[in-house]
Amino acid sequence: MAEKVELNEIEVWDGNYAVSQALRQAQIDVVAAYPITPSTPIVENYGSYVANGLVDGEFVMVESEHAAMSACVGAAAAGGRVATATSSQGFMLMIEVLYQASGMRVPLVLTVVNRAVASPLNVQGDHGDMYAGRDSGWVQIDAFNAQEAYDLTLCAFKIGEDMRVRLPVMVHQDGFLTSHTAQNVRPLQDEEAYKFVGDYKPYEEMLDFTKAVTYGAQTEENWHFEHKAKQHKALFDSAKVIDEVFAEFKKLTGREYKRVESYMMEDAEVAIVALGSSVETVRYAAEQLREEGIKAGVVAPRCFRPFPFDEIKEALANVKSVAVLDRSAPMGAMGALFNEVSSALYTLENRPFVTNYIYGLGGRDFSIEQAKTILKEQKANADADDITTNIQQFIGVRGPKLGFFETKRS
Amino acid sequence: MSKGVLATEKRGMRELGAEKAVGWDVVTQGTLLYPFESELKDVAHIRPEERPYSDFNSYTATVASWRVVKPVYNRDVCIDCQNCWVWCPDTSIISRDKQMLGIDYDHCKGCGVCAEVCPTNPKSLIMFAEAEEIEDALAKWPEKKKKAK
Amino acid sequence: MIEIRWHSRAGQGAVTGAKGLGDVVARTGKEVQAFAIYGSAKRGAAMRAYNRIDDKPIITHEKFMRPDYVLVIDPALAFTDKITENDKETTKYIITTHLSKDELIAQIPELQDKKDRVFVVDAIQISLDTIGRSMPNTPTLGALMKVSGMYDLDFFLDSMKRVLAKFPQKIIDANMEAMTRAYNEVN
Repeated sequence: MAEKVELNEIEVWDGNYAVSQALRQAQIDVVAAYPITPSTPIVENYGSYVANGLVDGEFVMVESEHAAMSACVGAAAAGGRVATATSSQGFMLMIEVLYQASGMRVPLVLTVVNRAVASPLNVQGDHGDMYAGRDSGWVQIDAFNAQEAYDLTLCAFKIGEDMRVRLPVMVHQDGFLTSHTAQNVRPLQDEEAYKFVGDYKPYEEMLDFTKAVTYGAQTEENWHFEHKAKQHKALFDSAKVIDEVFAEFKKLTGREYKRVESYMMEDAEVAIVALGSSVETVRYAAEQLREEGIKAGVVAPRCFRPFPFDEIKEALANVKSVAVLDRSAPMGAMGALFNEVSSALYTLENRPFVTNYIYGLGGRDFSIEQAKTILKEQKANADADDITTNIQQFIGVRGPKLGFFETKRS
Repeated sequence: MSKGVLATEKRGMRELGAEKAVGWDVVTQGTLLYPFESELKDVAHIRPEERPYSDFNSYTATVASWRVVKPVYNRDVCIDCQNCWVWCPDTSIISRDKQMLGIDYDHCKGCGVCAEVCPTNPKSLIMFAEAEEIEDALAKWPEKKKKAK
Repeated sequence: MIEIRWHSRAGQGAVTGAKGLGDVVARTGKEVQAFAIYGSAKRGAAMRAYNRIDDKPIITHEKFMRPDYVLVIDPALAFTDKITENDKETTKYIITTHLSKDELIAQIPELQDKKDRVFVVDAIQISLDTIGRSMPNTPTLGALMKVSGMYDLDFFLDSMKRVLAKFPQKIIDANMEAMTRAYNEVN
């Protein structure tokens, strides 16, 4: 048996360290990994736990991220609790296998430390890799700080392994901004944490030799559609389980998570929708603007997939103008989050103005001042009863103002 | 010795990353970087100090401030074996026509490999504190060590 | 909120120092943040680390900061880095140098109107004398305790013993001596 570790009530951990502790406490059977910045310390710390006898599971060293995810899929199909970590280029190399994992309905956990995707080469945090995973059929949960990265990693096993879900789960956090920022973290003790995650429950595991099973079958036009349809429904239906797991987690810790996190939205006139660590920065900005008399609020999808359309619609039903922030180069379209939020709001009778801000690419600092500027522009839209800016704007980029689409409603 | 071969006042004033703050409309297409300020024919036959290196080239950047100790070169002892030139990880040993000229102090990080591999007795390259004047260092050069019998 | 900016070279222990300070402060019931900006820089390259300390949870994640304290733990960076960037009228500077305060300020024009807010300590020499290698992070924390009055020295040393617990006793003792010397020598 692995040794137990006594943790302090309050630890000062960065996001990477927090995740590696959660992985240790979940008593994983197999971790196969190929480290990449900025997620390297997750695997590095976990490796030291293996070396020091703090975990019983196997650590498989592989020659690439593609192989890492492949080994994870194999181990998960064999019937073990499995996890790994990656970022950016490593994530891109995993993508082919991400679809295999979700298609085979194996519940493994991938902790993604979000980082920009080359070229130009960049190791800092943006959401390019997270967005590239959005059609891969995984549950995608987003942590905004180190505490959440820890909490949600524990939740991820419980969500994915639930017999009603049986889908792989990604837990995202921002590269450097969360992964390398040490903050107060209140962890669970080992026993509590493991009791919450629970024993792994196998489903049609390949190592059950009494019941032979084949994973990774081929289907053509005859059956492919039905399997993808079933998988899509399972992903949407996982929302119920996610809510249940979050409720159970709240009972244990007092920390509440929702698939959409609303902040000061009760009477908000203008709002920002964002993902990642910026959500917290924007909350700070909204608090300051409230002192100036602007009723600002913040809405953040905790779940990027399954996308919480109903909850987003409800959260933003009464605002006049919404800015949706995308931290990924949209490349010839509107930002992905803007598209999702807009489609959620389209059927509202009094739908708000929705504009799109592209910010923080490649780790460019996103300041409180910028967040305030964005909220003030929403206030101007609300007052003018029309969109006063381009629909899509770049904020924080050097050079002449860059914006697209001037569609006005009036 | 050709002018400008070694560290000069002119070179090495820019830290890496100090490229001009230009906008999205001005940056190069494809993030392409150009090492020279103009087109250049037969670059292999132009000496480094005579090449029009651009701001983006690491030749115009410096890591001198990283150094805590520096190698000092003593021409009087050197046998031009080129060992240091081969081993230097930062091409900071300047040699021309197989003759040692000295150290490129803009790009030397002070790792000490050159002094380590120097075969002469006494060594022709010795590490001194960064603040030590070259003349003072040369004045302190050790004597030839006698072989232990 | 108290904000601290460290100017350091990769390898001098600014990140460890910032996290160690965070650790100590967090255990007195405060909320902390410790982060760094270095990306793919190599050992020796200039980098910055940051601390935020507050009574309530810290939710800003902007890198922009108007520091209350600037800790320069490499002597050369006082000259080559923009140590006064985004400072306030109350920003205090603790600079590692072998020079006297007057000699240092005479060479750095930006500091000339901030004389009463500049403090010097030779953290490099102190660490060489005590720890045996150039490791100016912990002595600088000793100096910070003196200048800021954040905690008294004995309490801080006791807390740091816990933070450094994974090291051999010899190294812990050397660090204690280094912090004590810097506390007494900073001026």
